[in-house]
Amino acid sequence: MANARVIVKRRKSVRNIRKITRTMQLIATARFQAAFTRAMATKPYTERLAELVADLSNAIGEEAAHPLMRAQRDVKRSAVVVLTSSRGLCGGYNTGVLRAAVGHLDSEVAKGVENDVSMVGKKGISYFRFLRRPMLEQITHIGDAPRFEQVEPIANTLMDRFIKGEISAVYAVYMRFYSAGRQRPTVLQLLPLTNEAGVKETGGKKSTVLYEFSPSAEELLAELLPATVRVRLFQCFIDAAVSEQIGRMVAMKAATEAAAEMITALTRKYNRARQTQITMELLDIVGGANALA
Amino acid sequence: MVKSDTFHCSVITPERAVLECEARFVAFPAHDGEVGVLPNRAPLVCKMGIGSLRVQTGETTHVLFVDGGFAQMLNNRLTILTEQARGVEELNIAGVQQSLNDALAMSIPDDAAFVARTGAVERARVQRRLIETAKR
Repeated sequence: MANARVIVKRRKSVRNIRKITRTMQLIATARFQAAFTRAMATKPYTERLAELVADLSNAIGEEAAHPLMRAQRDVKRSAVVVLTSSRGLCGGYNTGVLRAAVGHLDSEVAKGVENDVSMVGKKGISYFRFLRRPMLEQITHIGDAPRFEQVEPIANTLMDRFIKGEISAVYAVYMRFYSAGRQRPTVLQLLPLTNEAGVKETGGKKSTVLYEFSPSAEELLAELLPATVRVRLFQCFIDAAVSEQIGRMVAMKAATEAAAEMITALTRKYNRARQTQITMELLDIVGGANALA
Repeated sequence: MVKSDTFHCSVITPERAVLECEARFVAFPAHDGEVGVLPNRAPLVCKMGIGSLRVQTGETTHVLFVDGGFAQMLNNRLTILTEQARGVEELNIAGVQQSLNDALAMSIPDDAAFVARTGAVERARVQRRLIETAKR
């Protein structure tokens, strides 16, 4: 009968899909491991830089007034970097980031602040096109493994514009990676630099090391702060890459499991259909024999 | 404190820790010339320039190209934080020559472009010099 055959066909296609999703899960797992190692490799640099900033701030003593730390209240424009993925099938990853981004943009607009959006990743670009929201920049050349040289120019342009007074703040919206089981969409304020960016991380203990500074501590700090901003943005990209792979891993695992369940259900349905078919045929034969007898 | 005849040297970029070793002598390019560091040096924080970083571990000497960054010496540990650190073996002469030509061909419409061109030219020249010294 046609019914049983249809079910067999469907089961076969579900099996194929399960094979594909399982492979994708494995690939995502491998990519996650690589991305995670990379994320861990950036930690020492970030930490040492924060230590240096703290030491220098202590050496200078009073509150350092670097242009990157100054908030310009009168400029009603801020830049927002949104980090999405270029590939799909990663569950709620892009949705989460984009929801956070749109929420942030709307609240800024409500405050009367205009936004320049730099969108990273094809998924975010097509979503914003669909919503007809303006984007200043569309960045697609950064792949799964962000390189520092790729991120550096973006940070430099933003800092330039901030110092020139074109923008009063810079935010990054990305999926922050806390642990393999926890990622949250986060809006991070990159500029103006706040104290928790580095200065606070010594936990209040004053280092009393007498350094030899070359050039002066003030000049060193003025060089260090841009480096801090660059590496923070880089960290955002790295976090986003790790979170994307986790998102894909989880989504594909769920898909594989759902496919397995579907196969069980279809098998059961097929067996029942087959049995019904046999019973019907037997009834036909018995009925025919009885009619002849 | 026991005086040791080596000190710990780590070279760290945003992407990875390039080098972690015990060193006898390190010379790094400072913003205003070269600085040599021996064990038990007084604490130092120094801005770096473009140039070659040499780390002598006793048996071997590591030579790296570094582009800016910071050096910190504290408690017999030298930390080099730089945005770019590459070993000589990672550089190839054709690529470097190409980037030198590109840099020399840059037009100079304003001050910022002049700074960028000077930096790019110096970077390429330092890299070329590094390769040439390594060959000898």
